[in-house]
Amino acid sequence: MHDVTAAAIREPVRARGPGSEPRGFDAARCRAAARQIRRYVMQMSLTAGPHGAHAGGALSMVEILSVLYLEVMRYDVKNPLWEQRDRFILSKGHGSPSLYAALCLAGFLDEKELATFKANETRLYGHPSMNPSMGIEFSSGSLGHGLSLGVGSALALKIRGNAASRVFVVLGDGELNEGSVWEAAMSAAHFGLPNLVAIVDRNGMQYDGFTEPVMNTGDLAAKWRSFGWMVREVDGHDVSAVHDALTAPTAGSGQSGGAAPLAIIARTIRGKGVSFMENARVWHHSRLTQAMYDQAMAELDASAETAATPIDRGGSRRP
Amino acid sequence: MTNLQKYTKAFVEAFDVAEDALPTLVYQAVPSWDSVGHMGLMAVLEEAFGITLDIDDVIDFSSFVRGQELLRKYGVEI
Amino acid sequence: MIAYTRASTRAWSMLGSSGAFGLAAMELPELDSSVAILSADLSFFSGLDRFRAKYPERLFNIGIAEQNMVCVAAGMAKEGHKVFATTYATFASARSCDQVRVSMGYMQSDIKLVGLAAGLSVGILGPTHMSIEDLAVMRAIPNMTVVSPADCTATVKATLAAAKHKGPMYLRLTGVQNNPTVYQADFEFTIGKAIRLRDGDDIAIIATGTMVHAALEAATLLAERQIACTVIDMHTIKPLDEAAVKETLGAKLLVTIEEHNKKGGLGGAVAECLALVPRKPPQLVLGMTDEFYHGADYHYLLEKNGLTARQIAESILASYEQVLA
Repeated sequence: MHDVTAAAIREPVRARGPGSEPRGFDAARCRAAARQIRRYVMQMSLTAGPHGAHAGGALSMVEILSVLYLEVMRYDVKNPLWEQRDRFILSKGHGSPSLYAALCLAGFLDEKELATFKANETRLYGHPSMNPSMGIEFSSGSLGHGLSLGVGSALALKIRGNAASRVFVVLGDGELNEGSVWEAAMSAAHFGLPNLVAIVDRNGMQYDGFTEPVMNTGDLAAKWRSFGWMVREVDGHDVSAVHDALTAPTAGSGQSGGAAPLAIIARTIRGKGVSFMENARVWHHSRLTQAMYDQAMAELDASAETAATPIDRGGSRRP
Repeated sequence: MTNLQKYTKAFVEAFDVAEDALPTLVYQAVPSWDSVGHMGLMAVLEEAFGITLDIDDVIDFSSFVRGQELLRKYGVEI
Repeated sequence: MIAYTRASTRAWSMLGSSGAFGLAAMELPELDSSVAILSADLSFFSGLDRFRAKYPERLFNIGIAEQNMVCVAAGMAKEGHKVFATTYATFASARSCDQVRVSMGYMQSDIKLVGLAAGLSVGILGPTHMSIEDLAVMRAIPNMTVVSPADCTATVKATLAAAKHKGPMYLRLTGVQNNPTVYQADFEFTIGKAIRLRDGDDIAIIATGTMVHAALEAATLLAERQIACTVIDMHTIKPLDEAAVKETLGAKLLVTIEEHNKKGGLGGAVAECLALVPRKPPQLVLGMTDEFYHGADYHYLLEKNGLTARQIAESILASYEQVLA
């Protein structure tokens, strides 16, 4: 495993659960965490060897995860099923390397375990497998299920009056080809679920290439709006913009008379952060050689946050 | 008990209605005479009169009055 | 409180299995305060009108969206609800199969998936609504419990048992209105434990769903020819009551009957169970023939598939005579 530099994060943020103190949004810290997640993704991809890795789709959602896990979501690694936690569902399950990296930063996973990615007796499969102690709410990998799982979770939370917990679902834009996503979207508006947030990692690509020539999903913002969702469009690699989109008040009325669910359409670049992966068709899933790895790590090291602000350990979060 | 008394009792118990409401009572006129209540009544009438109703007659049994006509087919005079 | 009288079991029979399920559903919130019922636009067909009137906050219509329904159910189950989800059997197993295998099989969500109108019961609507292969699909998914009640009384019992059962379950409801009655009174229903309804040394018949009653009638017809049949209600296809199956090894002929494709359902399960047993009777598998029929009336379709009591008796007789020869 390539050694992590001093500028990188060594200790994860342990808990942003009960009793944690409020702290302002720290964009620099998020960017540093994003860079570390990218490093971890490269490390896992190398470790996977001939099995290959879904590196492209993992890299496009890194800022989304860093903002969620460091700045927005509430959770308690010592009590992973804490009722008041926020729930995270990775509907685009193949983005698992980034999720594992984020869970490592959050304190659910040890850094050493990342080296077991795709090993035969690992807990870190190519697609996430449900495991509360690891902070994985649901198994995923078959595209199109996650938003429905989110609807069910959000609905149950609403029924028992838990107005604090939110359910975040990250979907791919290619994944929106699946009809079941739209069943879920329709039902979320119908049931009036303001506690549900769908984040579309709109990297414009899917396995067979760019989404437009493969299966054009058209005007996504208009589609979600027409399904009764509130929509925010952001640059998915701008941590401040992502943070604002996730935390700005969502007052407004949905079609059920209650507040509408929120869809964030995050414009991203598949393979972001590694030049030879960006917008490259093959990097939906491919094999990372040592040479590629070395180049990728060199690029990440050279990126803007070289003199990174160390992540502030201590798990302080708004209650 | 006369046949009419048995018949009336079955309705009153099945649907919790007053006897004087029966002559004009039709299927779905009261919430308790839904499909579930209907089958319950059919089963009670079968037992009371020792008959087995044909499914077509079960479906055709749309009112207190109609029921009396249908039961005649089974030799039950009300 | 449910009363298992002659009149009530007769009423349930007239309602049909969906109606019986709906009636049993009325008891569920008392058994488990976390009960929620989802339906893919079939709440009326599921017999849930009274449930809707009494417990509107527990009934969620998901619309014609079976895939969404299964995962919404999984999300709710994860958050602590005991969830029943209803749709046509064929859609449960085919349309939302992926969601079923992932959420119910793989993640073992505590969902009771109710497959309405299984087999040929809405065959009038054509092959798209005939569930020919749902037992084959469901029993091949790890961690699934698969239950197929013999009649409407058993449907009530199975529904209540399902509420107490923890883990993913597929509840297969067969038959139409005026569904013949096997159980006219209360009886002991335990998931995974077959029920021996009739004893006879010559032939052993293992049946499920509507075919249990047909098997009993066929056994009566065979008795007129001095052929004695055992009849077993195998209401749980998975886990199969292997002990009950192995109790039939002394028969000269073993017969399995199901309102399901001959391939892959109860017949297959029983054959698999006996595969390593060196000395066993030959097994006659009766079920739907492996083809798609044009839409037709339920009883007409049963006859086309050789599944009336008379036809079953004739098939058994023909096989038995070959065995004895």
